[in-house]
Amino acid sequence: MRFKIPIFDVKNLSFVVRGQNILSSISLEIFNGEYIAIIGPNGGGKTTLIRLLLGLEKQTFGDIKIYGKNIKNFKEWKKIGYVPQRASLVDASFPATVLDIVNMGRISQRKFFSSMSIQDKEAVQDAMLKMDILELQDKMVGTLSGGQRQRVMIARALASKPEVLILDEPNTGVDIVSQKNFYALLSKLNKEENITIIFITHDVGVIADDIGRLFTINQKAIVCNNPKEALSCEEMSVLYGIEAHLLHNHKHEH
Amino acid sequence: MLEIFEYDFMQRAFFAGMIIALLASVSGTFVVLRRYSMISETLAHSALVGVAVGLVAGFNPLWMAVGVALLSAWLIEYLRSYFSLYSDAILAILLSGSLATAVIIVSLGGAFNNSLFSYLFGSILSVSNEDIITILVFGSIAMVLLLTFSKELYFIAYDEEVAQTSGIRVKLLNFLLVSVVAIIIALSIRVVGSLLIGALMVIPTIAALQYRVGFLKTVLLSIAFALLSVACGMILSFYFSLPSGATIVLCVISIFIVSLVINKK
Ligand SMILES: Nc1ncnc2c1ncn2[C@@H]1O[C@H](COP(=O)(O)OP(=O)(O)O)[C@@H](O)[C@H]1O
Ligand SMILES: [Mg+2]
Repeated sequence: MRFKIPIFDVKNLSFVVRGQNILSSISLEIFNGEYIAIIGPNGGGKTTLIRLLLGLEKQTFGDIKIYGKNIKNFKEWKKIGYVPQRASLVDASFPATVLDIVNMGRISQRKFFSSMSIQDKEAVQDAMLKMDILELQDKMVGTLSGGQRQRVMIARALASKPEVLILDEPNTGVDIVSQKNFYALLSKLNKEENITIIFITHDVGVIADDIGRLFTINQKAIVCNNPKEALSCEEMSVLYGIEAHLLHNHKHEH
Repeated sequence: MLEIFEYDFMQRAFFAGMIIALLASVSGTFVVLRRYSMISETLAHSALVGVAVGLVAGFNPLWMAVGVALLSAWLIEYLRSYFSLYSDAILAILLSGSLATAVIIVSLGGAFNNSLFSYLFGSILSVSNEDIITILVFGSIAMVLLLTFSKELYFIAYDEEVAQTSGIRVKLLNFLLVSVVAIIIALSIRVVGSLLIGALMVIPTIAALQYRVGFLKTVLLSIAFALLSVACGMILSFYFSLPSGATIVLCVISIFIVSLVINKK
């Protein structure tokens, strides 16, 4: 078996806010080396699921294990890189160069009182090289385009050398060409560096060849082990409603 | 050189003022980036309760100010992080409640006089050797903590949740930041006064932000602006017999206006 170590092991996860079920009895496992796409209608609970997995929200019911440990006892957060949904909408007046932001990826690894080590600097340079932003490093983030900012945010996540990369619709407001490069890069990180990728996106048709499995989240979760088949399954259109048809057509165009 | 330095009290005031400028501007960078300005105003008024207790009961007012400001900071952070109870309204209640309490304590103790007034608006004449020692001791602790955790605090200011998910102890560091800010504010009210310290904390950073430079340069600019305005303010207040806190604040506002104008595109 290629996928032996479960990174996330979710059992019967529910999230209820003021009597409203946001997520209901979700069970899923995510294994080392997987590339998983998560789709679902707006408000379906994709972001909430990720926030639960990262300990940013507390579940109402159910269990989450990360690397075999109950989430409460999990400490090795630096293994998980996270790019939140609105990451690229930075406050334009925030005083940060691209380098300042990517350096943040190393902060949780350093020891107190010590400045950046050679390894830290190498990891930062390497992340910027991968995201092709080396020449932007002294620019203020507030002056960058949406696509450039997206790459900076991912470079920050990569600088911590994560084993898992979680991206929540990072490509809102990014042009098509940048997006294609971006998808190619994600696939490369997954294949060549064995980074587990969890990618919330609306563009699943475009990346159908890259991904291993597809999760559809709309309060409940449906796990499709063969995403290409999944795109045409009826279950999906019930869950996904009208958007499933759009998605379907979208896929045939490509 | 300048006759201003021929007086012992001016040397003390200048020394204390420079340390406070440094402390206020470095902590002020985080206060501005975290949008904590209202917290710093509130703490400045809480510190007055400590001053009032000190004046009436005969304890060192500065020590008492540090203590009460710390308690108030912890209360604010506790309400915020454990009850998600945080709003301008709550801060406003704490702020006016503290001011009222301080005034009542002082007038009950029969000491509603120049002493409290000098802590409201600051007074360079009143900086004693004991004050300098208090400022040095607590100021060093505050500065060491700030510098040690500056990268973490910067990350949290940038994105609290991402910082948390990368393993940074956000709650602990938030407590640390408000504690350090409380200490610095309490120390500053001697020189700048509790009504004006908020300005000295926040405006140098807001002025520095106009230059749109990276983090380190922003901090350095902010320190430079604070030192410059405290120096100018003290010199002006000495030669024109003006209240020091008010003069310092007008100087820092002038620097802000100049920064705004020269960076306007
Ligand atoms: N902490 C919360 N309090 C109240 N409502 C929440 C909370 N978290 C999520 N929700 C609600 O859950 C629903 C799912 O949101 P979200 O996870 O952002 O969906 P998606 O990312 O799929 O668009 C939304 O209706 C949102 O308002
Ligand atoms: Mg979302």
